[in-house]
Parts: sequence; structure tokens; C-alpha cells
Amino acid sequence: MHIPENYLSPVSCAVMGAAMIPVWIHAVKKTNEELPKEKIPLLGVGAAFSFLGMMFNVPLVGGTTGHAVGGTLIALLFGPNAACIAVSIALLLQAVIFGDGGVLAFGANCFNMAFVLPYLGYAVYRLIVKAGGGENCKPLTRYIGAAVGSYVGLNVAALCAAVEFGIQPMLFRDAAGNALYCPYDLSVAIPAMTIPHLLVAGVVEAVFTVAVFALVQKTAPDLTYERLRTERPEAGGKRYVPIFALIAALIAATPLGLLATGTAWGEWGADEIAEVVQNGKALGYTPQGLANGWEMNVLMPDYSLEGMNEVVAYILSAIIGVALLVILFKLISIPMKGRKQSA
Amino acid sequence: MIPNWMRSTDRYVPPRDGGTFAIRTIQSLGGVMSRLQVQRGQQQGRALPAFWKLLLLLVMLVAVSVLQNRLALMAVTALVLGTLSFWPAKRLWQTLKSALAAAGLTLLLLLPAMLLHPAGASNQLVIVWKVFLSLTMLNMFNRTTQWNEITTALRRLHVPGIFVFTLDLTLKYIVLLGTLICDLLSALQLRAVGRHERKYQSVGGVMGVTFLRSAELSRETYEAMVCRGFTDDYKGL
Amino acid sequence: MKLIELDKITFAYAPDEALVLREFSLSVGEGECVALLGDNGAGKTTLFRILNGLSFPQQGSYRFDGVEITAAYLKKQADQKRFHKRVGYLFQNPDVMLFNGTVYDEIAFGPRQMGLPNAELEARVGDCLDLFDLRPLAGKAPYHLSGGQKKQVALAAVLALNPEVLILDEPLAGLDRKTQEKLLRLLRELKAAGKTILIATHDPEVSSALADRSVVLEKE
Repeated sequence: MHIPENYLSPVSCAVMGAAMIPVWIHAVKKTNEELPKEKIPLLGVGAAFSFLGMMFNVPLVGGTTGHAVGGTLIALLFGPNAACIAVSIALLLQAVIFGDGGVLAFGANCFNMAFVLPYLGYAVYRLIVKAGGGENCKPLTRYIGAAVGSYVGLNVAALCAAVEFGIQPMLFRDAAGNALYCPYDLSVAIPAMTIPHLLVAGVVEAVFTVAVFALVQKTAPDLTYERLRTERPEAGGKRYVPIFALIAALIAATPLGLLATGTAWGEWGADEIAEVVQNGKALGYTPQGLANGWEMNVLMPDYSLEGMNEVVAYILSAIIGVALLVILFKLISIPMKGRKQSA
Repeated sequence: MIPNWMRSTDRYVPPRDGGTFAIRTIQSLGGVMSRLQVQRGQQQGRALPAFWKLLLLLVMLVAVSVLQNRLALMAVTALVLGTLSFWPAKRLWQTLKSALAAAGLTLLLLLPAMLLHPAGASNQLVIVWKVFLSLTMLNMFNRTTQWNEITTALRRLHVPGIFVFTLDLTLKYIVLLGTLICDLLSALQLRAVGRHERKYQSVGGVMGVTFLRSAELSRETYEAMVCRGFTDDYKGL
Repeated sequence: MKLIELDKITFAYAPDEALVLREFSLSVGEGECVALLGDNGAGKTTLFRILNGLSFPQQGSYRFDGVEITAAYLKKQADQKRFHKRVGYLFQNPDVMLFNGTVYDEIAFGPRQMGLPNAELEARVGDCLDLFDLRPLAGKAPYHLSGGQKKQVALAAVLALNPEVLILDEPLAGLDRKTQEKLLRLLRELKAAGKTILIATHDPEVSSALADRSVVLEKE
């Protein structure tokens, strides 16, 4: 579910990042209030645990394996607020050190996996536990709660990702009306994201969550988040309402902000279009030419540029060409030098 | 007295099938941890301090993402590949491998869109190109920077101390807990001599024990901090 | 041909790191008991990992019962499982061996894998619990046991598989005198029953009381 770099427009990335800031502030504040002081290193440990959980290969049918995100599990063990921070840090490390999920898409990934997933998963779990008799409910109720919570959490998170993908072609197009980022609209993105999550990834998530949660419940139930704060009465989901409202507002405001800058789709004035088409030509991007079918040279179509641009393009092409050749030769030399040691 | 069955040798024929989740997890964790542990011989990027490198990386990532002008993208490509061409072959491959894989995957994902809507194909190819560029730059940064330099760089960027402290702890614990998971899975693998009927119990066991250990670790860390004069002032970190 | 044959194995954790083992050779016959002595860091644990197919030497060969144990050989599930069934390994740190919810499940893990009928399985687990007087702890979580108890549970879990070869990494370290003597008696019985035993220890007394011969690993 990690959204890679360049699938979302920079504007979307910025909005999602901005949406996360109040969430993070809230989460840090709440963690400080809720958890005893000695639990602060718990955030670091929790993040490490979350990171490793995402790397864990969960067995599926027939010897295949899949990965879980574990957002709900972390919320069950460390609390939703600590989980938000812990998963965010895990995602940050994945993005920066391992290129798993974009650095710029970090905000969007956090929104889906560090905000929607743990808070929602935990809320669903609490609802089921409450319905099943509150704190003294049967263990089975808790496991069902964990399973349903993690399943729902993951699938809603996937739906969020799908929407983020799906609004890209609606909002960000070039002069010719072609998508600039993820080209799939909601009608494609939503089924493409949600069906595999409903059928496979959600099940993996639920199984992983219940398996780990069950062992901790049996072995050391006092270490789970619920027990840490049972002395405090449940304030419930109400506290989260302002945040949800804020984020909804932010998201709703996105298209408006875009329209205001005049770059959004569908709002072109007559002379604006002429100007853009002209710009398009200056970029060497000629839709008519592409309508005849595209070839590899669409990536470097700048030979028709005039004056300085032409010279620059030639120089750049030369640099790229030479660099590519050097790299290629170096790579070819690897098998000859390296194979002996590894064999 | 040992029981009689222990005195004889079992006639045991193992079944053919079996899961490989333990081995796969060991392998993927092993890869991660070797990257996080002291990264030997990765100090090549000495030309630039980590702080500036991190800033440069962020600026470049934003630039690649924002730029629609193909000429400008070409300039970035020339810069990136030009720098790379001075690198030794082995590091080159490590750097390019995942970038190429990601670009390939992107190409595959976007292929249906390109086929259905050829007019937009050039835009989609630009995405593939950008994915390759972004990941190459990220890998270049990672191959020349140790993670402790990254946290120092974050401090200089005035990221709050508690955040950097937590990040440092996280990296430390990934190695620590990752080693524990690998050991647990090795031990499991050694005793998993047949058909594993209760795989999910084992998954829960391994990660559950790891969680219990991590709760213990965080308490011990706090106690160790207190013993060394820490006074609950996370701002001073 | 000996059961275990190590021929000039060399091992380092990374290509540019110091060697842990250099051209080390050792052969152990069936039913033999060999004690491995050596300082911390001399490579005992590394050697044991190689013997169990968890690590592979960069040079030299390891043959078990005539078959060379390589990563490629252990790729095949059936071969891997047969090999692991025959060789039992007690890790130096028992914590990493205990991943089940109860002591009973921990010991039953191996026999369950073997698909033993229920009655036989229960008998086997019961025998192993009795060997270490663990019956009262059967329903407890291994995580909450003391260090010495954990070690005994881990050893019981290994013995429940009834392996032909026992590779024990400091089995007596950290145990009280009484438990140590109990374990030594047990190991002697296992040896008398024809098990091949490799034991790493810092205690010369253990090696003289149990082992047919001792091998000293020198630090590089």
C-alpha cells in the first residue's frame, strides 16, 4: 500500500503532509498524557516493532507469503496515539533508507497507514469489545474485535490510497487533457486497490494482528494499551472529532486551492489555452504528433527546439549518453570480476 | 531415566511441502539489518556533509516531482547519471538495481493506461522516468550516508530533539529486535521438521515474544537513562 | 566415514571482516561426545551454526552422514527437514528458542510437526516434561520462567524431536549446582543411548566428566 514517488502530484503530497501535522501534534500530546513517563522510549521501540512487523512474511496458502502493515496491532499494543507516531517513524525509515514509499508521498502514506488505519482499527475494536460486554468480555470477543478492526482499518486505508490515486487524473492534466500523474481515475483505482485488499491483504492483516495479539493477551495482558489506561474512563472517539473535521476540511479545500491558482483542469480561458498550447510547443510536446502513436523518442523530443534550447538539449543528451555508456560498461564488468567470489 | 523412545532412532520421513515464511523473513530482515548496521566502506560521499546532502536530496526530489519541462528533467538526469558514472562498478549496480526495478514496475503498472489512451503515454513515460530518477537519487544518498549522520543532519535542521532521539532509538532497536526475530525464526526452522499445522500460532509467538521483549527493553532503556542522570526533560535531548 | 566431517572450513561474517574460523577441520563419529573449549569469540557459536545449516562456510566443506550440507542442498524442503530432524541444537540463549504460548506447546512443537498420533505425542511430551520435572509448569508461558527453567524447557523441546546428534551451546552455564548435576547425568545417559553430542563449554570439569575428547578453538 506504500504510495511511491511521483504517482501523486506535489500538491497532493503537500496537502496530505499538511493534514498530518495536526494529527502528529495531537498524537504526541496524547501520548505524553496517557503513557507513564517511562514509556517514552516505547515510541522508539514501538516504531522498531512496527518496522519489523511490516517486513515479516506472513504465511498464506500453498507456501506463499504476504506482508501486513500491522497498524491496528500497534494500536492495540501501544495505543492509537503512540501507534500513529510509531508507524509514521517506521514509514519514514522505509521511505528514506529503503525507498519503500515516496519521500514526498510520506504525508499521504502516513495519512493512510499511520492515521486512518490505527485509529479506525482501534475504534472498531473498542466498539466490538464494548458491545461484547466491556472490559470483562470473553477473550474471543477481543480476538474478533482485533480481527474485524484490523480488517476494516486496512481496507479503509486502502480505499483512502485509492482515492488519492484516483483524484490525480481529475485534478492534474496537461494542456492536451492527459493525466500528469497517476493516470487511473476513481473507477479504476478503487477496484484495483480495494479488491486485492478485501480478498488477501485484509485477511493477512487480520490473521497477523490476531495471532500476535492473542499471544500477548495470554502471556502478559497487562502490557497491552487497554490495561495501561483502564483506570481512566473511556472518553471514546469524541476527542478525535475535531481532527477528523480539520482533515476533511483540508481535503475539501484542495481542489479549491487549485482552482484559485488557475492551473486546475477544466478552468481554462480561451487565451489561457492558446498560451498553454504555445508553451506545450515550446516544450516539444505536440499532441497531434502523439496521436499518430508514440515512439521511444517521445521522451527526448526536444530536437525541434529553437536557439539556445536546442544547444542545451544537445549538450544534455551528450552528457546523458556518455554517462550511460560509462555506467553500462562498468556494470558489464561486474560479472567478470565479482562472480568468482560469490560462486 | 530417559524414556525408551529416546534410546532408539526414529524412522522418520518428512513430508515434501512446507512453508518458507521463516526463511523468507530471515532473508528480508537480514538484508535490512546489514544496511543499518555499521555500513562499511560507504564513506565515499565525503565531498558533502550529510546535512547539505539531505537538503540537496529533498530539493532535488521536489524538483523532479514538480518539473514538467522535459528539458529540465533531462538536465537533472544528466547531473545524476554524470555523477554516477564516476562511481565504482559494484556500488553502481547496488544503486541502480532497485531504481531500475521500481521503474520497471511503474512501467508495468502504467502500461494498460498507455495502451488504452496512447495520447497520454508520453506523460506516463515521464512518470517512469521520474520514478527512476527519484529512486536513484535516494539510493545515491543512502549509499554515501550512514544513518547516524542522517540523525545528526536532522538535528541541524532543527527537527525537535525528542523526534531525533526516538529515531535514533528506533534504528538501534530495529537491529536489536530484528536479530531476536531472526534467531527465533532460525530456532523455529530447526524444529519445523514436518508439516506446520499451526503456522499462525508460530507467527503470533515470534512477534508476540518480540513485543514482550520490546516492552522490557523500553523500560530498561528508561531506567538506564534515569541512572545516568536523565530527569524527564525530553527537550534537552 | 564419520558422521560429521568438517574439512578446512573458513568463515567470516562479511567479506571484509576478520575470519572467525580459518581452515578448521573436525570429524566426529557416531556416538562420540566432543567438548569444544575456547574463549569468548573463538568461533564456537559460529561453528555450531554451520553444523546446523544456519550458516555456510566460504571455503572448505561440511559433510553430514556423507552428504555435503550446502545452501543448495537445504533448499529442498524434504532434505532440509530430514537434516534438522537428525540434528538438534540448543542455542546459547534459550530466550530465542521459546516462541510458544505454553511450556507444553513449546515441547510439543517438534512432535506435532512430525505428525505423531495423539497418544504418542502426549506420551512423548509427558516424558520430556518429566525428564526436567517441568509438569507443574506445563501450562505456563515460557516467557515468564526463570533463566534456568527456560534453558531446561528449550532442551526438552530439542529432545522431544529425538535427534541423533545433539549440539549444545553452553548447556550448563547459568544453572545452579543441583540442576547442573541433573543435566550432566541426563547427558551421560543420552551418550550411553548412542547419541552423538557436541558440547561447547568453558568448564574443563564438564569436558572431563562427559566428553571422549576435547577440542580447543583458538581465537584468530
